[in-house]
Amino acid sequence: MAGYIIRRLLWLPVVLFVVSFATFSIARFGPGDPVSVAAGQYRDPEVLERIRAERGLDGSIFEQYGRWLFGDLYPGGSGGGSIRGDFGESFIQRGFTVNELIRKRMLISAQLGFLALVVVFGTGIPLGLLTARFSGTWIDPFVISSLLFLTALPVLVIIPPMLWLFALKLDILPAGGWGGDGFAGIFDVWWIGGVIAVPIPDPHLYMPVFVLSIGGIAGVARLVRITALEVLTEDYVRTARAKGITEAAVALRHVLPNSLLPVVTVIGFALVGILEGAFFTETLLGIPGIGRFSIEAVQSRDYDVILAITVIIATAFLIANLVIEISYTFIDPRVRLGEAVNA
Amino acid sequence: MGGQNRIIVIMLGVLAALVLVIGGLSAVLLLGGGGDDDAAEPTAAAGITTDTGGASSDDGDDGGSGNGGDSGGSAAASGRLRLPGSDPVTLDPHIAGDSGSAEYIVEVFNGLVTISPDLEIVLDLAESVEISPDGLQYTFTLRDDILFHNGRRVTAEDVRWSIERAASPELASPTALAYLGDIIGVREHFYGLAETIEGVEVIDDRTVRFTIDAPKPYFLAKLSYPTAFVVDQQQIESNPRGWTRRPVGTGPYRLQEWRIGERIVLRANPRYHFGEPSVREVLYELAGGSTLTRFENGELDVAFISVNDIDRARDPNSDIGPLYQEFSQFTISYLAFNTQVPPFDDVNVRRALGLSIDRNLIAEVTFKNMIAPATGILMPQLPGYTPEDKTFQFDPDEARRLLAESKYGSAENLPPIVITEVGGGAEARIDTQAFIEQWREELGIEVRIQQTDFATFLDDQDSGRLQMFNAGWIMDYPDPEDILDLKFHSDSELNDVGYSNAEVDAILDRARTEQDTAARLALYQEAERLIVEDAAWLPLYFSRVHVVVNADVEGWFEPPMVIPRLRHITVNR
Amino acid sequence: MSAAAVGLEDAEATPGRPAGPWLQLWRRLRRKRIAMIGLAVVLVIYLMGITAQWTAPYSYREQDLTRGLEGPSADHFLGTDRLGRDMLSRVMYSARTTVIITLTVIVTGGMVIGPTLGLLSGYRGGWVDGVIGRVGDIFIALPGLPMLILINASLAPRVIEATGWLEENSLLSGLVQNGVPSYLTVFGALSLFFWVGSMRIIRAQTLQIRERDFVLAAQAMGATTSHVIWRHLLPNVSFLLILGASTALGAVAGSELFLTWFGVGIQPPAPSFGAMIFEAGSVRTFQASPHLLLVPSFFVVSLLFAFALFGDALNDAVRAR
Repeated sequence: MAGYIIRRLLWLPVVLFVVSFATFSIARFGPGDPVSVAAGQYRDPEVLERIRAERGLDGSIFEQYGRWLFGDLYPGGSGGGSIRGDFGESFIQRGFTVNELIRKRMLISAQLGFLALVVVFGTGIPLGLLTARFSGTWIDPFVISSLLFLTALPVLVIIPPMLWLFALKLDILPAGGWGGDGFAGIFDVWWIGGVIAVPIPDPHLYMPVFVLSIGGIAGVARLVRITALEVLTEDYVRTARAKGITEAAVALRHVLPNSLLPVVTVIGFALVGILEGAFFTETLLGIPGIGRFSIEAVQSRDYDVILAITVIIATAFLIANLVIEISYTFIDPRVRLGEAVNA
Repeated sequence: MGGQNRIIVIMLGVLAALVLVIGGLSAVLLLGGGGDDDAAEPTAAAGITTDTGGASSDDGDDGGSGNGGDSGGSAAASGRLRLPGSDPVTLDPHIAGDSGSAEYIVEVFNGLVTISPDLEIVLDLAESVEISPDGLQYTFTLRDDILFHNGRRVTAEDVRWSIERAASPELASPTALAYLGDIIGVREHFYGLAETIEGVEVIDDRTVRFTIDAPKPYFLAKLSYPTAFVVDQQQIESNPRGWTRRPVGTGPYRLQEWRIGERIVLRANPRYHFGEPSVREVLYELAGGSTLTRFENGELDVAFISVNDIDRARDPNSDIGPLYQEFSQFTISYLAFNTQVPPFDDVNVRRALGLSIDRNLIAEVTFKNMIAPATGILMPQLPGYTPEDKTFQFDPDEARRLLAESKYGSAENLPPIVITEVGGGAEARIDTQAFIEQWREELGIEVRIQQTDFATFLDDQDSGRLQMFNAGWIMDYPDPEDILDLKFHSDSELNDVGYSNAEVDAILDRARTEQDTAARLALYQEAERLIVEDAAWLPLYFSRVHVVVNADVEGWFEPPMVIPRLRHITVNR
Repeated sequence: MSAAAVGLEDAEATPGRPAGPWLQLWRRLRRKRIAMIGLAVVLVIYLMGITAQWTAPYSYREQDLTRGLEGPSADHFLGTDRLGRDMLSRVMYSARTTVIITLTVIVTGGMVIGPTLGLLSGYRGGWVDGVIGRVGDIFIALPGLPMLILINASLAPRVIEATGWLEENSLLSGLVQNGVPSYLTVFGALSLFFWVGSMRIIRAQTLQIRERDFVLAAQAMGATTSHVIWRHLLPNVSFLLILGASTALGAVAGSELFLTWFGVGIQPPAPSFGAMIFEAGSVRTFQASPHLLLVPSFFVVSLLFAFALFGDALNDAVRAR
């Protein structure tokens, strides 16, 4: 297993290299560039050329990529290049390094994504078991169809009515924005009698977390329902019962672990779904997260920002995938790494 | 089956707990919001609903906590203004070219001259200016009471250093040549051919002299732009990368806090040379979204009105009616024709398109008259503006006649026409859709809409690939030269429609150096008339801004272009 | 995701009666009322789109500036938009756009690449499997949406230009107006990013099947790779393919919304659900004229919900074999 993990880890830089070069070329292939966008209505072609030269946008694409990878990207920078984690300076917001621009936004999106993930699995798993338990009654199809309906509600459709209802009509939630200050800030503390501290999620969180999670709940619930139904009819569960093992032991040792495996497999998918949802949710609700920022960056062709975001997301995704794969082996010893689940 | 049941029971228990927790939290939240008085330590939820809780004296305090706590506290004092805003691209005055950044920059920094609320060019850092009889030399004497935010006194050397920095090759500012290029030696400096700028001389500690290449009556207006502002050499040299995070300027306000995407806080400068401003703290909320919603929630003092709420705002009996104000802007939207490519190489085709759109009706129906149909190219309040309408009026018969008279003869013979516009989403600007439908109905011309993103649009515009496009122009300084000469002189780099009319060129050339103001404006009016008649542009609308302003705020105004304004405003609470 | 439950049988054992298992599947599906309702809704909306040209009461672009933002009335059943255009007609033409997109995706082979590579990878194993798997790693690591916008911004203008030239010099027309080149670019790009998922599912299933007797027998008799894949493996994963296709079509119809939001696809004034929702998408617009959002949303949510219900039932039916 150690050999396998090492092989995968060695593969990581290769993937990142290809990903970054692909993004780099696609961005530069298209019409328009950040210098032109930043100049706005001041468009003296000579001046723009002069600025491009100053900002290192001259030379062949390989030279430029080399500079991005190893070079001195901006005056006063660390000069280490992206390979050492210094992703350069924004072309649009000059004077700001890419790293400081995206760090805080990443943190905000990560908090939202984490909460959404908790809600997705926290409600998806119980709902899945509920429908499995009531399989054959009206509850099962009712819950599943309701969840499917929620899935069929596009983010773009659901946000305006929600804003209208909660922010305008009932006036109980803010109409967007981000109130939290860092990790602890997403929870406010409410004191009961000055003694008991109750953490309350910041009201800015309710709508985005809800919107981000509705897509995933149905998926998780359906998956749990199917596996729970399957596991309960498996031979080893019957055998265990026949041997007189207590029901609690059966539940803990057989049913739970075996229902969990497929749930683990979808964590990755759920994360991707949440990330994609974040592009719209953050934009529509005015949350300064990485999703909204990456779209702004693409639209203004802020090359170095686009590249940094792509590389960081790719790295995070690859590592998450690896961790999930490894965790299979602990949950289900039948899975051997590199075999059924991998690739 | 018993085991199954037990698992289910356990899981149902988990679900129940979850429901209880979530429900409980929501209930607490609701209670916290409604029962404002009980909550000793207001939560963010309380902050949001504070203003429904009545006009209690700790109003400001709650608002402060709601906005993040750490900036609250001392902010409880009166004189706090809460505005909607957006993140500036940069706070470096020498490279900022967008009005969004300029809005903050003009409050934090100053130049030798500035623009007053009545749009006059007035002295700012300079105490006096002397213009040589040939109009080439400008000698400024600085005031002796100007201090940077850190207490250092501003000298003529600071002015020289700032101009040199703005035009330096290393900074590569996109605006440097546009605003400072008239000064002798700036071009050489910008292209790295000269170490210093010949046309900027320090005479003594308080005197600096600029020499320009030709007598240009609008030169002072250009110096009012941030590119010519004075920055602190010591700060920039000691922290060349990070200084814009907490810039040291000379302006009425200094930057207290900037949290990207959340808020910007400006604090009054007690040593400002025209006296400490009355509003002690200005908070810009950067989160975006509907500002009116936040205004109605008591989170903002000023909000913009969209087309959906304009009827309510205009109704004096509605809740926001008495707070509603409207201001005109130095911004024009227009349809531009590339006059070098068919079919727009024929003036009659351009005129026919202009005559067959009913801008008045479209402004009324789609914008509820929130924008004003343009009467020409020069906007109201701009020097040279004339109220009579010089544009084409809706006249389909005349349009058909002109189309038949053109060298194409009829709609069938026209080459395909594509109109390009910048669009984030696929839905075209609503007025463009209305226009193309009118062209189809009245003239039988099919025009296709092409939406592109901003970067692609600029690239296509630069390379002259656009046949016809929908765009806008925002004035940088209140002088007709800034639009007529820049966009329509056949030599201008910004003339992106290939317009070339020898008569117009001659008039614009004369206006460049005409020293008599009245004669100069008359020349521009003549040029405007010719350009509109030639239909190089179809002027569409002049922008107007619609706001509601809290009753506590006194003297609020939306200037037609970005100028320093916060120090003219007071807050009564 | 878990393919274990799909039954296996050798399709070649029943030559000449390939309809057998399919008919079974259909019968099983017929019994599910909810699946039939879903299917019916999908068909109705698609039919509405296909016949829009002849059945819509107005043209999608015909405007009456004096009658903007009206509610339902006798001559405009679903009201009018800001320019006084008939909402019902625009919805019908939007359904047509959805039909066009779905066709475009099938044309670009968005649903073919993944399964083909999955079959190849699972059956051949070895270095083929390795290469496909590693390439898959790269594509799945790229953040889809920003890449999509980037590709659209970079490539689409030139593709549109080329198509415009093609239109002028041939008898084809309306391609650009209907966003075909733009969708071709984007869904071409989409299939680049999203083949990995289906490839992995099909590969896993293939891994199981290739050890079965009938495959081993065919190999022993000297069958070529393409013969084995085509005659033995494909029939056994075909139900998975159908399942994937029904999910994919729903996803494609839904993705139009967000693609339009980023300026991809259909060019105005031709309508699409995404364009209509985009135009009505601010909370203040919703407050002032809710029908602008509710009308297109009703249809698009019905369509997506119907796809989801049908897909769910199909899933059950396939797994129950």
